[in-house]
Amino acid sequence: MSLFLQLFVNGLIGGAHYALLAVGFGLIFATTRIVHFAYGPIYTIAAYVAWVTAGPLHWPLPLAMLAAAMVAALLGVFSYQFLYRPIEERQGSTLVVLIASLGLFIVLENLTGIVFGTGGQTVAGFEGGIHFIGPVFFTTVNVWQIVSVLILVPVLAVFLRRARPGKAILAMTDNAEMARIVGIDTVKVSMLVFALGSAISAVPATLILLRDGANPSMGFLAVFIAFVAVVVGGIGSLRGAVAGGFALGMIESLGLWQIPTEWQNSISFVVLFLVVLLRPQGLFGAARR
Amino acid sequence: MDYVLHILVMVCLYSILATSFNLLIGFAGLFALSQAAFYAFGAYATAILSVKLGLAFPLPLTAAILFTAAVGILVALPAIRISGDYLVIVTLALQVIALAVIVNWHGLTGGPDGIRGVAPLHFLGLPLDTPRRFLPVAALAAAAGFLIAWRLAHSPFGRALRAMRENEAGAEAVGKNLLYMKVVVFAFSAGLAAVAGSLYAHYFTYVGADGFTIEQTIYILAMVILGGTGNLWGSVAGAAILVVLPDALQFIHLPVEIADKSRLVIYGVLLMAVLRFRPQGLLAAAAAGGTRGALTPLAVTQGGAGLLDPIAPGEATLSGAKLARAFGGIRAVADLSIALTSGRITGLIGPNGAGKTTAFNLLTGFLAPDEGEVTLRGRPINGLKAHRIVGAGVARSFQDLRLFARMSVLENVLVALPRQSGDRIGQVFFRPFRVAREERANIARAMSVLAFVHLDGKAGETADSLSYAEEKLLSIARLLATGAEVLLFDEPLSGLDPTTLTEILPILRELARSGRTVCIIEHNLDVIKELCDEVCFLDEGRILAIGTPERLMTDPELATRYFK
Repeated sequence: MSLFLQLFVNGLIGGAHYALLAVGFGLIFATTRIVHFAYGPIYTIAAYVAWVTAGPLHWPLPLAMLAAAMVAALLGVFSYQFLYRPIEERQGSTLVVLIASLGLFIVLENLTGIVFGTGGQTVAGFEGGIHFIGPVFFTTVNVWQIVSVLILVPVLAVFLRRARPGKAILAMTDNAEMARIVGIDTVKVSMLVFALGSAISAVPATLILLRDGANPSMGFLAVFIAFVAVVVGGIGSLRGAVAGGFALGMIESLGLWQIPTEWQNSISFVVLFLVVLLRPQGLFGAARR
Repeated sequence: MDYVLHILVMVCLYSILATSFNLLIGFAGLFALSQAAFYAFGAYATAILSVKLGLAFPLPLTAAILFTAAVGILVALPAIRISGDYLVIVTLALQVIALAVIVNWHGLTGGPDGIRGVAPLHFLGLPLDTPRRFLPVAALAAAAGFLIAWRLAHSPFGRALRAMRENEAGAEAVGKNLLYMKVVVFAFSAGLAAVAGSLYAHYFTYVGADGFTIEQTIYILAMVILGGTGNLWGSVAGAAILVVLPDALQFIHLPVEIADKSRLVIYGVLLMAVLRFRPQGLLAAAAAGGTRGALTPLAVTQGGAGLLDPIAPGEATLSGAKLARAFGGIRAVADLSIALTSGRITGLIGPNGAGKTTAFNLLTGFLAPDEGEVTLRGRPINGLKAHRIVGAGVARSFQDLRLFARMSVLENVLVALPRQSGDRIGQVFFRPFRVAREERANIARAMSVLAFVHLDGKAGETADSLSYAEEKLLSIARLLATGAEVLLFDEPLSGLDPTTLTEILPILRELARSGRTVCIIEHNLDVIKELCDEVCFLDEGRILAIGTPERLMTDPELATRYFK
């Protein structure tokens, strides 16, 4: 029973991490229909920015996270502005954009490896406390991971519903063509979601740096998980992305009960495979095309 | 010197991989990114059979090809249901799963250590264990692989593949069996990649999982895209460039690890740059691939003589009885019964959303009815796949045309001709003369179909260069080419100027005169009046009235419904 409780809590924590990844990715995907595969390495770079600033430069953690978010936002906007948009304007299909994004993915990932080395990096001197509730333990960083979801998601939800740019995002998510007709500058909205979505990824990036450290290849799994969670939750639904993230975290963690650890990372891929094949509209059915 | 030869061996291996990958993504338009997994299966199958069972060439190679082709067919299954971005992601996921299986199945694959001691190939007792000795084998395999890919791509089968790439529903509507085509092209692409994998195993005498990662797939993808999708020579060029170019890096003396990463950066940058600045790649695909000979005048027969074999008029042909179909809660078609007669033109009219196009979809197998039955000359045809129904003699056009945009006008028609033995892969490879003979006859026939709609002068142009009116004519020509006796036109005349109308109307009349059963969806009541023998008025998914155009148009109740 205590093993189950521990796995359940681990699932919640992992799910919180995945939920934020999915929210950032899903915002971009649902609004622009671009499968921004380079979201993965941008998240990695955000983690390294946090590492440089919080580690060697000794900045306070919130500031490091902010720096990471800004760099990520910039990279996101750049990839849209200089790669995806020119291809889209020449009537390239979303597929061509996706392939280009794979190119960007491999460039950024390997550049990260060249600059920072292939070994992992952790923030020296960072000590998070360990807490127990009954037989279940978790760390301070784990608490932050959960809290970050509890803060960011409602804030984003309010922004999307109340603020003018947020409403423009929702309008474009609903129907890009119609949004353009009623006078919404879809290019600007796209840049905004690329900035926002990428910046959001910096939060789980910084926290995972504190928890497990950063390594150059961590982006691949991240963008995959984000994609799976978004598809599972239903494209265009914030609630769906969060639910999808937590569902994946739970499945991965509880799966450990029966499945040997070396297969843990494959679970999401199998889930993806099954979901896309059997229910491409998502489990929660919020998909709008 | 050995180093240069080694590079050449690698160029050979990668040109096999790139051409095989090009079949999938360039010709069939299936962006299934798991080519490195096929490569891996070929290599591992060879290594396991050669090391663990001690089998000697050519058994491991044969087994590797067959096994990997079978895996390819399995990967084709998701490609039947999903396409586009989703296929990319799912096949990347499949590759990750495949790699995880390879790494975790220690007993069979040696896990992360891989398999050592694969026997080198031998020729006349001589081990082919140096680049110099291995190169002829690699070159021979590359040439053979290229020829197989070329034959496949430039046969009628390859043409159908390109049609599928341009528009799946369009290809189905001219009678192509998408399932068969996808399975075959996956099997060939995977099988050819396995050849490269098998050679790899014998050449390096070692296989390990790190040689077959996602990065490998992207590497091969970069070759195909750099060279030009849909152009096999381009893939060879792309392979040569991307194997040779990064090797210039070794002269800068970087540490191995950084050199490896820099190489990947170069691939990525090239991939992005090509897509950004020259999406067609270095060598663009020839749009009118392989049919240039068709444009010689001798192939043209004028005026459609002998094009339309007469069919007895006045016989009941296609009929639908009590058809119903709902989407979610909305009943698009409810209790629709319709009977068409040969030699007559039936008009289907009704307000927007009346269910006209849905009715076509039900009659042609593009949608399965929830209830009701479709029969052709008394034989039930519902339940048949759309392409089978075309073969049985019922074909349809689309409101949004669905032409094969990046194929020539001639090819658009050619691909629609029925019963081509070149559509069967076995015939393509084992009855080449028969296929070629038929192809000559088919080109002549396609030209006469084009002449019938006055498009023969445009045969060599690509479909996307046509004017709107010409596109409409081409969609009619393509429908005619199917040889079906029942022809369903979905708004063939909408948006046309009066001059073009006077061009198309006689064509439709001529079809009816030859005994074809013609049914058109149309909004222009003048056209209906002039053209149709009989009109069905559809609203809310059922037929409200059937009669002559004159009678229906004077019915005040229908008029209010129509203009509501």
